[in-house]
Amino acid sequence: MNPRSGWIQEFWRIVVLIAIAWAAGSILDQVYLFLLLALLAYSFRNLYNLRRLSNWLGNPQFSDIPIHFGLWGDIYSTIARVSLRQSEREKRLTALLNEYTASTSALPDGAVALDSRRRIRWFNEAASRLLGLQPAKDVGQPLLNLFRNPEMVEFIRRADYADTLEISAPGNVDRKLEVRLAPYGDEQILLLAQDITERLRHERMRKDFVANVSHELRTPLTVIGGFIENLQVSEGQADGRLKRPLVVMAQQTARMRQIVEDLLLLARLESDSARTAKKEIDMAWMVGAVTLECRTLGVDVPSIEGKSSSTRRVIGDEKQLRSVVTNLVVNAVNHTPTEGMVTVKWRDQGEESLLEVIDTGEGIGPEHIPRLTERFYRVDAGRSRERGGTGLGLAIVKHILQHHDSRLEIQSRLGEGSRFVCRFVSSRLVD
Amino acid sequence: METSDLKHHYSQQFNAELEEIRSRVLGMGGLVERQLEMAIMALNDKEPEAAESVVSNDAMVNDCDIDIDERCTTILALRQPTASDLRLVLAVIKTTADLERIGDEAKRVARVAIPAEAGDHGRNLLAQVAHLGEQVQRVLHRALDAFARMDVEAAIDVIREDVDIDSEYQSVMHECTAHMMENPHSIPRMMDLVWAARALERIGDRCCNISEYVIYFVEGKDVRHISPDLIKKALGD
Repeated sequence: MNPRSGWIQEFWRIVVLIAIAWAAGSILDQVYLFLLLALLAYSFRNLYNLRRLSNWLGNPQFSDIPIHFGLWGDIYSTIARVSLRQSEREKRLTALLNEYTASTSALPDGAVALDSRRRIRWFNEAASRLLGLQPAKDVGQPLLNLFRNPEMVEFIRRADYADTLEISAPGNVDRKLEVRLAPYGDEQILLLAQDITERLRHERMRKDFVANVSHELRTPLTVIGGFIENLQVSEGQADGRLKRPLVVMAQQTARMRQIVEDLLLLARLESDSARTAKKEIDMAWMVGAVTLECRTLGVDVPSIEGKSSSTRRVIGDEKQLRSVVTNLVVNAVNHTPTEGMVTVKWRDQGEESLLEVIDTGEGIGPEHIPRLTERFYRVDAGRSRERGGTGLGLAIVKHILQHHDSRLEIQSRLGEGSRFVCRFVSSRLVD
Repeated sequence: METSDLKHHYSQQFNAELEEIRSRVLGMGGLVERQLEMAIMALNDKEPEAAESVVSNDAMVNDCDIDIDERCTTILALRQPTASDLRLVLAVIKTTADLERIGDEAKRVARVAIPAEAGDHGRNLLAQVAHLGEQVQRVLHRALDAFARMDVEAAIDVIREDVDIDSEYQSVMHECTAHMMENPHSIPRMMDLVWAARALERIGDRCCNISEYVIYFVEGKDVRHISPDLIKKALGD
């Protein structure tokens, strides 16, 4: 309806009313009295309508609007229209909110929203299950009052959004959680907690399986190896036909035994992280010893040079560190042609010390480098197997270095050679 | 009541101070929980290094104790709190003292665990003590949760659960005595276990104390030295 029409109607109504009152008044010679009466009547009508409006607003029924015409009709219909729109929007928002709440509570991961002072603003169903939060009761409570683990306190204080924390669920030591933080809004944080109990169990099962299988394979392999050796001795002179197969069998058995030993070593390295020996190891001496040893590997070995400019010692396990140096040097030797060169260096770089193994071999393509330390990963499957590699060497190196708080860096260029660097941190070094 | 009680002051600073001491007590509680967890882990012989870390970390618990006491003294002196604020400060002071003692008991348990590596007498008993320890660990966690939420119902549950701990403690004691009578040469080792069990049982009692302070803060009633059922009745009227 056009809102102006109500006004115009009302205006004409007043004009007509005044005109009638004036006409009647002038006939009876009581103009002022009649005008007064007309205005009074008009005011009373408005007052009455106002009261009806206020009554109606107390409990608005859109099907039952008291007045349909004139200015009052306009007012009623406008109110009805606005509130109808309002209630529709409310319905839509409620539906949206319900949907949102339902979808977040369907999340399998716990989510907790924290304000700038790390108080709980909101959390989903999974969070109350995983973290033991009580709906309604715990909103407004500082999270750390309920999640009191000192590591968690430190983690939240540090607020490193790239980091994750593995932690036992509060009040349930057997349930393991992975917690991460994400910033949002104005200094607010979303905490996400994932139940990783199952995942850890699977990981452990996998490790146990590999260790058990390796262990079980050890004895049969030893027996087979022994018999092959026996056969080689006794058959060697007698029958020429068996000679070649026996040599291959002996080689392959030796290789399998090496793989089993390496797998067992890896399993050991993975399981007891705390129990590495802590002796002072003279790396300069070890570099010398290993280079000497590797020169005698065969006839087609490239020249190997050991250069030690550092006198620092590493605190760690001698056997493990020796295995690092040997693995790296043997790898380099295997991938370098006879006329090439392998250099082993032990040197200082500021606070840290580096063990470098540099070769002039064929190099490694950049796409392989990130995956080199994976188990059984081979750049060129046929070749390295020929050389007797197990495919576990670099995985072992990586793990041993982790035990020594150190890391392995690999640089390489195709056709020019590779550089393997073990970087030892200062806390593991003594002068 | 509950946490809203801490927000009724015009002085924002005072509110913040009260919140702070409460959070600090709970932070200290987290530390103590960790100490107990490590001590029990050491008993279970999963991590022998855990025992040593418990002994060395006790200093941190003591530092917390001193720090919180100092803050409470300052609040008492400067703010002269009344009613529920006063009750909160008193509850905090008492809880801190109890937590500090729980830390000491955890240290005692860990000390027992250090020589446990060597001997293999009564493996079974050791497992039983560790089981008692896990039970105590849960009770401590729930007592601190009750303190965080100022939840009277949860506090009463903690006091009830202590009865189970006491009976578990009794059965460990019986077994230890029986074992000692059978093999007199195991007595020194058994004495260690008895001490550990005793320390754990004391921790259970201190958790009850903490729950009683929660009730004291919320209801303003002193419910010490009465049974859980009587507590309910006392709170009813």
